[in-house]
Parts: sequence; structure tokens; C-alpha cells
Amino acid sequence: MAVCVGIIGKDNSPKYFTCLNPDEELGFQYKVLSSLDVVEEKLSSGNKTGSDMRELYLGMLYSLETHKVYGYVTNTKIKFIIVVDSTNTALRDNEIRSMFRKLHSIYADNVCNPFYIPDEPITSKSFDRSVKHIMTGA
Amino acid sequence: MQSTNIASTNQCELPLELCAKPLALVGVSGLDTINNAIHKSIWETFSSNRRIERSPVLFKLIGNAHEFPVVKPKRNSYEWYIPKGILKKNWMNKYLNEIPAVIAVFYDLDWNDLQWNEKMIECASRVQSMRAALEGRNTRIVVVLIQDTPPLPSGEDVLGTERAVALCASCELNAKSLFVLPHGDHLQGYVLRLENAFYDLAQNYYYLEARNIKSHREHLNKSTHQYLFVRHQFKMGFLNELRQDNHTAHKHYTHAYNNLLEIRIVDTNAMEIRTIAGFINYKLCRLMFSLGLPRDAISQFRAHTERFKMRIGFQELAFEHHAWMSKQFSVFGDIFDEAVKLGLPAVQTQHPGVYYQQAAQHATLRKKSCQELCQSVTAHPTPDPLENAKHIEFYGQRPWRPGKLSTAESPDPQLESKGIQALQYLEKQVNHSNIVISLFGYAISQYKTYKCLRMRRHLVVQMAEEYYNSQDYGKALTLFTHMLWDYRTERWWLLLTDILCKALRCAFLTANIQDYVMLSLELLGTSTTITIDQKKQIYHNLNNIFKKQIPQPEPDTPMKGIQNASLLWKPVLAAEPLLLSLDMGNIVSCIDSKARFMQNKYQGDQLVIVELFIRTTCPFPLKFNKISVMINTPGYSSEFAVNNLHADAENLIFNFNEVKRFLIEFMPNPNDIGKEIQIGAINLYMGNQQLCYIDLKFNGLGNDVNKLCPDLMHFKRTSRSIYDFDNMKPLPVALIVPRQSKLTVKLDHQQPSLLGEWYEILISIVNDEEYVVENLQLEIMLADNNIDQNTEFCSNDSGKPQNLPIQLQKDQLKTSEVFSTKIYMRCHTIGSRNVGIKITYLLKSEKPVASIKEEIIHVPVVKPFDISTKFLTMRFGEISKFYVGEPFILMPVINCLSQWPIIIQDTTLEFSPLVKEVENASKSQIKGLTLCNGDSGADIFVAEVFKQNDSAINIGQYTVKWKRENGNNITVSQMSITGLGVDWIPLDIELPLPAFGLVRTPLLVSYKFYNRSQQLIQLEMNMEASEAFMFAGYKQLQISILPESTKTLQYNLYPLISGCVMLPKLTLTVPEGSPEGPALRQEQLNSLIERAVPTHFFIMPQSKGIPPRNLGINHIKKLPLYNDACKTRSINII
Repeated sequence: MAVCVGIIGKDNSPKYFTCLNPDEELGFQYKVLSSLDVVEEKLSSGNKTGSDMRELYLGMLYSLETHKVYGYVTNTKIKFIIVVDSTNTALRDNEIRSMFRKLHSIYADNVCNPFYIPDEPITSKSFDRSVKHIMTGA
Repeated sequence: MQSTNIASTNQCELPLELCAKPLALVGVSGLDTINNAIHKSIWETFSSNRRIERSPVLFKLIGNAHEFPVVKPKRNSYEWYIPKGILKKNWMNKYLNEIPAVIAVFYDLDWNDLQWNEKMIECASRVQSMRAALEGRNTRIVVVLIQDTPPLPSGEDVLGTERAVALCASCELNAKSLFVLPHGDHLQGYVLRLENAFYDLAQNYYYLEARNIKSHREHLNKSTHQYLFVRHQFKMGFLNELRQDNHTAHKHYTHAYNNLLEIRIVDTNAMEIRTIAGFINYKLCRLMFSLGLPRDAISQFRAHTERFKMRIGFQELAFEHHAWMSKQFSVFGDIFDEAVKLGLPAVQTQHPGVYYQQAAQHATLRKKSCQELCQSVTAHPTPDPLENAKHIEFYGQRPWRPGKLSTAESPDPQLESKGIQALQYLEKQVNHSNIVISLFGYAISQYKTYKCLRMRRHLVVQMAEEYYNSQDYGKALTLFTHMLWDYRTERWWLLLTDILCKALRCAFLTANIQDYVMLSLELLGTSTTITIDQKKQIYHNLNNIFKKQIPQPEPDTPMKGIQNASLLWKPVLAAEPLLLSLDMGNIVSCIDSKARFMQNKYQGDQLVIVELFIRTTCPFPLKFNKISVMINTPGYSSEFAVNNLHADAENLIFNFNEVKRFLIEFMPNPNDIGKEIQIGAINLYMGNQQLCYIDLKFNGLGNDVNKLCPDLMHFKRTSRSIYDFDNMKPLPVALIVPRQSKLTVKLDHQQPSLLGEWYEILISIVNDEEYVVENLQLEIMLADNNIDQNTEFCSNDSGKPQNLPIQLQKDQLKTSEVFSTKIYMRCHTIGSRNVGIKITYLLKSEKPVASIKEEIIHVPVVKPFDISTKFLTMRFGEISKFYVGEPFILMPVINCLSQWPIIIQDTTLEFSPLVKEVENASKSQIKGLTLCNGDSGADIFVAEVFKQNDSAINIGQYTVKWKRENGNNITVSQMSITGLGVDWIPLDIELPLPAFGLVRTPLLVSYKFYNRSQQLIQLEMNMEASEAFMFAGYKQLQISILPESTKTLQYNLYPLISGCVMLPKLTLTVPEGSPEGPALRQEQLNSLIERAVPTHFFIMPQSKGIPPRNLGINHIKKLPLYNDACKTRSINII
């Protein structure tokens, strides 16, 4: 179960942000923003070989005392960030990967929506519901 | 009080002896460093300049009366022994600084000393007394003899060997413990060797000590001696560290740590165990880093913190736990940083900064729990329960119950609470914010190194919050405002709003009106996430400032600060009038503005128009006082305000999301022509001039300028009212250009220009302006101001070149009047020319304006004709050489290339001295000829040369005078004609022939051979038969020609057929084997014959009825007639 999910645009501005406990949103935003340092470093190191090109999952970005931060970057440089509680050992790499894949797919669906304006924050309620669904793993 | 304070903080601090790098201790005795210069230099060589390559040894000077720590009585059984703690406070220091592993007794004694025996006894007694002082210790004693004489090679010094044995015997030392130190030369080298020997002995000593401790182990049992397991393993680890055996040390420390974890933790020993765990963990991590095991160090540390994270101990003393945790992290950060400095590569996600950051977090928790727990404590209890703190025997024990570990004995509750109270009181005195801030400082610098700029920013914000908490609002405000920019560009509005609100509070508390207004304006924008009520509050505060009233504090502002702030605000608001100038260019405020020039070029007499769009996203109406634009030109800047605003006051009140458009017009300064003008700023003035006047400076590019993905802007939906605003493209720069002239310039000329001619260009200027033009100046030059030697200009018919630029003037030109002038250009090379014509004048309008008109004429220059020269023999045969004395024909041919017809006025050929014209005063053959494109005209001259010359000779200057068919100016083109090489041959042949002959009419011809040389020429002549002729004369003959004389051979030819028939062919050969005579080669002879002797002759048929009346007939009759079969006869001329 993830505690926080963020979608960050090409310009590094947040497009969508949610966390299980809305009171902690501010702290999570700081955490997610800070993790972009690692994302940028990973993207700029440029040691991706041919087979890696299709690998969008970046793995764990930060392992803090209380939380673990994972990242995923699409080919159009949209970043997905998932924050998981450090104590949560049920989530393994594979689960995180599949969460990202689901997120990516619903994000793509949302962009296809003609009423969504690209680069604007996502406010769709159904998108929000789907994300919550993925977070809770239900 | 001070001392106890230190004691309490020491509980989580690591003691110095733990952090010091363990070095083998060597005692040095018997050196009098104060009175004896030699001793002093020896001691300094040992103790100073201890670089890394020297042995890890610490030297200690020990006086004669030194007292070593007393040896504790040996324990034979541990059966009834119950340890009172884990690690004694004095133990590490004892081994580091007090008990030497080796004692070196220095003594001045030479082998050949006169008083050898007495001194030997004194030395022995010194050794004995040292031995007595170290009774019970295993410290090795060595003797070093300081000698004056340099040592002899071993084996040769019999006396030395003998006396050394004696000395060892009397000191009760083995031979290996005696050293000799000659203090003369090479002291440094001897000292290094001694040092290594001491180090070897010391290592041995520590090894034995460790083994000794190990031997205790069999006496211990797990139930009562758990502490001793830890203690012994720790000691072994430490001794091995002294021995510099890090691997073994690591092993023992690991055992110690594991043994420690086996001890059951209860309230009474919690702190001790935690403290010792911290020590051992420190040693372990440091060793692992130095052994090159950074990953193991990190995982050890993680496990360590994980294990102790939840073991808070006494709830009343929770701050101690957080202090300890914070210390663990910061110390680990230090060790990590140290390792990085020694070359360990760290990565972005694993570097010292991470640990400093967590240390800061724990320090914050410590502060929080201190605030919770220590609030009520107001005084230090008496009697001081902490007074024992300094004398406590073990690390990590409570001063009020030292050594009481047994769980059965429950602590005295009253004493316990007193002790806790004392600790809480001390904790209250600690400045936590300083600790937190300095930890953040370390973390920030580390994160910066590892390219985590966002994380760093977050830490700076946290640091600023800590400053805020410690009431240093000024510093907090500075940090907050510096961080705003990046959060703004990345559009994290929630975070931005958070920081803005905090910064606004700081600005209020420090009465920083500038920042207060800026932050308020930014918070009023739509991007911030605060509620409308909060915005309303901010809006009111802003209005308060315009009224010079102190704004209301934000909610959550500390009460203490508010009182102070109101004192600060008073002087700030008292300024008369209150003027503020704010640079809004970098922030995304609630006011957005864009400006542009309507055109990117303005003519000097045109109005410059600036279009302004202003929009507010403030939910409440904003009123401006004045709107103006700052225009920058290279030299100065000037401000232009929107006119007529006050007439329509409504226009200056902006409601939510309202866009208004303003136009500003002004005349450009005539001095700015050719320069660029720029919109420097848009100034919006708020408030009123008497009370408070705020000048907001915008850059005129709009708030969207920093948006990173402009391509996605197309998707943006905008409502009609702000449509113009969003779609306007700012144009901040415009060029002031000179006004466009309305003069018409007509140019009449016939391209292309011919090389060398005065090319005529007719310029007509028509005044199409609405006003009279005065002071008209015409300037003619080559474009780009080239000065070209090969191009000449002239403004009249004189044909004299004038210097560039040619200037022509006309005082006045009325409307539609025409002014024409001709200019001439002459070019001496082909190619094209760009002729620039610049007309400057003053337009006599109401306001006279200087104007400029420029034209460029492009003129190609081509050759009018081409002259090629042919050289021919007198018989019009081609020649490749001239021969001295043989006339030739010279034929210059003019090929017309010009597309305009040209007339040849005259041609002359001026011969050079080398050449003589054969017929004098020859006239031009092509004078008066008109040549069109492609036509040719040929001249002809006959000339002769006198001198032999190998290279081609110069014939002379050929001059052509020509003009265009319709032109007036005669152009003279000259060309030098180059001829051929000149050869000389001694022989000349001539065969004069009449114009024609008649069939069957004899014809007398004579071949004349002329010898030009001074020698005799001998030749063989042969005359071949011809079908067309019968002839009489020599067929074959040896001829000799005397110097400078002529030999004539006569032939009577009798033509048989008519037509152009071939003459009998004459061949001449040089006889073989004639050595003397001028060099005359066969090929020269052949070419001479070819040149000089006609091959064909024209024979007319005989007219009927007319008898032949040729004079030659008589001769023929006289001469003997030879037939083909004639006998050859040679004629010898003597």
C-alpha cells in the first residue's frame, strides 16, 4: 500500500498529487520534489543501453528513515513517484513496478480525454478514484 | 554549575579518548630536555615532525620520579565478583597516555669512558628504579646509550662488545634491549631506526596484554559476568588497535557489540548500554571504513540505529534518547565524511549529508520532547544529585546511583526524581536551535556537493523554520525569500504558498515593509493555495499599509514577537512620505503585465506607440495611481506615463481577472536615430503620494515567461476577456530608423561599362516630397567606401579624374523639380563596380527634417575588344621564328566583344628599336571601321629585325583609338605586341618570279644564294624534275658561296601545262665531312627553302594568235637546253 502518489510534468511541476492522509501532503510534497534530484541524475547519466531504453522504472530513489520513494519516467519525461512506508515489507519491487504500470496506463487514458488540457493539473475525479484504487492495492 | 552542565551533555558526546587514533605509547626517560642541548635535540627528533610514513608511535617524556598507575591486585577467581559497570572511564586513557608499552632509558656513556665502571653502575641503578616503578607491569625496558663517537663496524670494536655484555649483565637486560645512539651525524636516521625497534617491542607488548585478557575468559560465566564479556572484548579490540592490527580489533569489537546486545535492558542500565553501544558502534564503523568496507559500515550503522530507535528508556528523559540518536547520526556523518576525504567515492543517495539530515531531525525531536518534558522545571534541585558526575567510575551511569546495577535493588524513587529533575533543568538550558541549525548546515553543504539541489532547498527551508523558531526572524526571512524563486519556476504552488506564508510572518515580525508588500502581492495571486478569507486578511493588511497603519498579524504568529513587531513597525511607517520601489520582475504576483512596441522599426518622425496590457488576479479590486513605461536607449532612460488617466478614474480600478489595455505614444528623440530603444520596465504606482506611494516595476514580459513548455500553450483554453493578454507576444525592443525619403532618383546609363572608357551615368533627381528641399548634397563613391586605384570618377567632360567621394550640391529643389547631372566613371580592370549615391537634404516642412536617400548602381565592366596578332612570312606562310634580315608580316586583329558597336578612329603601331618597319609610313587599314559584336578588323605591317634573340622580342605599342558609335569621348587603348624569337642563318635564298608564266614559253629564273657570313659556304644542290616543266640548268651541283657575296644559279623553265603548278623542287644539303664553314644545319636549310622558295607557280595557257613576246626567249635560245637526262656537271668557282 502506497502512502503517496505524485505525477510530475516535463517541466518538473506537479500535475497530480495525492496522499492517504491529506494532512501530510505538504511534507510529502517536499519529499517528492527532493526525490526529483535523483530522477534527474539518473536520466542525465545517460548510460542507458539499447535494452534499457524501454525500461521506464527507475527503482528506489530514496530510502529515508520513515519512507521509501520510488520513481518511474515515461518517454515524454512525465515522472511518476510513489512513496511507501518504510515499515511496509509486503511491497516488493515487482508490486511497485506493477503499480507504476497501472498508473501509467490510467495517466495515458486521462491524457486521451479531449477535455483534459495537456500540461494542466489533473482534476478528474475518476482519475483520482483510480489512483486511490491503485494505492490501496484493492 | 558549568561543570555539571558539561557532564550532562557528555552523556551522549563521545569521549576524546575514544575518538583519538590509538598509537603505541613509548616512554622516554633520562633525557634532560631543559638543560642539555644534546638531549633536547634528540627529544625533538623523536617527538616532532611526526608524518604519516613514520611508525604509529606516541612518545612521552617521563621524569625520574614519575609515578605510574597502581596495578590492581591480581584476581585469581571471578566467582564472587560482580562487575559494577561495563567500561571504566579511566581505562582507555590509561593505555593511551599513562602506561607505556616500552620505556627507553637514555644514558650518556661512551665505550671508552674514563669512569666506565661508575657510570655503568649508575645506569644500572636507573634501570632498577624504573623497573621498580613499573612493578607488576609488563612494560619492556630498554637502554639507549648516547655516545659521542661514531660506532665502529660490528666485530671490530672489541672493547665495545665486551663492555656491552657487562652493562647488560649489570642492568639485568638481554642484549637486544641495549641500543646505542651516536648523536653526531645522521641523528634523524638513527632515531628512525630506534623508533622502529620500539614499535616492534610495543606491538609485542600489546599482543601479550591482549592475550592476557583473553585468558580471563575461562573464569567468566554468562549469568553474572555479561558485562565482563563486553569489557574484555572491548579491551582486546582496543589493544589490537594500539597494535595497529585493525582486522583483529574489528573482530573483537564485533564480539563486544554482540555480547552487549545479549544483556537484558532494564531501566537502570538502559543508558549505560546505549552509551557503550554507541562507543563500540563508533569504533566498528570507523574501522570498517578504514578497512575499505563502507557498505558493511553502513549496514552496521543501520542495524545499530534500527535496534536502538525504539529504546527510549525513561519517558521523562526521552530527550536524552533523541540527543543520543542525533549524535549517532552526526558522528556517523563525520566518519563518513572523513572517509570521503580520504578518497572513498560517495553517491547521490548515500553520502554524509543523509546522516547529518537525520541527525538534524533527531535534534528537532529532542527539542520537541524537551519542550514537552522540561516546561515545568524551573530550578536545579539541591542538593545537586549530579555532583558526582565527574568522579563516576563507569561510562553511561547515573551520577546519583553509580555502580548499582542489580535489578533486585530498586532505586530510591525520591532520589531518582530529583536526578531526573536536574537533568531536565540542564536540558532546558541547551540551545537546541543552534544544534539543529548547524546540523542542517552540514547537511546542506553535503547535499550541494552531491547534486541534490532540491533536497538542499528543502533543508534550507527547514533551517529557516528553525531560525524562525529560535526567533531569528531576519535570517529566516532571508533564507525563505531566497528559496522562493526555485519553487516558483517549478510551480509547486502548495510548497510555494507554505513558504510565502512563513516568510510573510517573518516580514511582519521584522517590519520589513518591502518584503511584506511583495509577499502579500504574491499571495494574492491565483497560484497560491490559501483560502479566500486569508486573502481577504492580506488584502486588508495591504490597504492598512497604504493608510500607514500597522498590519494585523497573521494567525499563528507568536505573541511575544507581535509586541516587538509593533515597536519595529512604528518608525518604518513614520517615514514621510513612505516611498517603496519593488522589483516585481522575478515574482509571480497577482498583477500581470505585458508591453510591446507596435512595430519593430520606427522612422525618426513617427510616433512610437507602446501597447500595455495589465491584468490582476487578485480577488479584490486593486487601484492604481499612475501607469508609466520606462524606455531605455543606449545613453539614458526616460519615463512615459499613460495620459488622461485621471479623467477616467474608473479605468484604474482593476477587478478580478480584468484585462485593460493602454497605449503610450511619444516622439522619438532625433538623436536616437539608428539606435535601439527598449522597454525597460512598466511602472505601476499604488497608494497616494502624500502617505504611501508604492512603485511596482514589471519587466513587461508577463508572468508566463518562465514557462518551460511553450509548445503546450496551444492547448490552453482562455476566456475571451483575457484572450488578447495571453496571445500578445511581447516586443521589448524597437529600432529608430531615419525617415524614408520621397525623392525619386532616375539613373540612365548603358551597361556594361567598357574597359578604359569614360562611362557616362546620368542621374536625375525628382523632388516628390510635399515640401521644398534645401541643401541638397549628392555624394558619389564606391559602395562600402572602397578606394580603388583602378576606378576613376569625374563629374564633367574634362576627363580628369577627381578624388572620391565626389560631392555635388544644389541649394534648393522645388516640389516636382528635376535636377540632373552626369558623372563619368573609368575602370581599368574588368569586374563589376558598385557605385553608391547618397543624397542628403533638409526637408523644409513645418519642422525641418534631415533626410537621406541612398542608391547603389551596379555596373559590370567588360573588355570592348580583344587584339590578337599574327606573324607571317612575306609569302603569308605561318612562321614560328623571325630571321635576321628576313622581312615578315605582322597582322594585329581586333575582335569586337562589346555589345554596343564601336568605331575605330585610328590605329598606329609604334615599333620598338629592335624592329624596323620595311615600308615607311604605312597607314591604318581599319581606320573609320565600325565593329559590332563579333566583328573583326585586321591591320597589316611589314617589318624586319636585325639582331638575333632567343626569347620573344617586343615588337612595339599598338594603339587603338576608338569610341562608342553614339559616344563623344574617344578612348585610347594601348597594347604592346610581343613577337617571336629571332634566329640568324648565314644563307639567304631569293627566287624572284614574275606574276605568271605562259605554257610553252620559256622562262628564265635565277636562284640567288647570298652568304651573310664571313666564311665560305659549301652546299650540295639538287634540282628535282617536275612533270610540269622542262628546264635547263644544273640538276645537281656542288656550290660554294664566298663570304658576303651572292651566287646566282639560272634556270630556263619551259612550262608544259597550265594552272598552278609545282616548280621543280630545290633541295640543299650540307656536304658531309666539311669541317669548316658556318654552322648551318640541315633543318635550317629546309625551313629556309620552305620560307623563301616558292613551291608553286601560276602558268597561264597561251593565248591563241598572239605570239609570245617574252624577253626571256632570246636567252633560252642561247643557253643549252637540258633535258631530264642531262649530265650532271659541277662548276667550281675559285
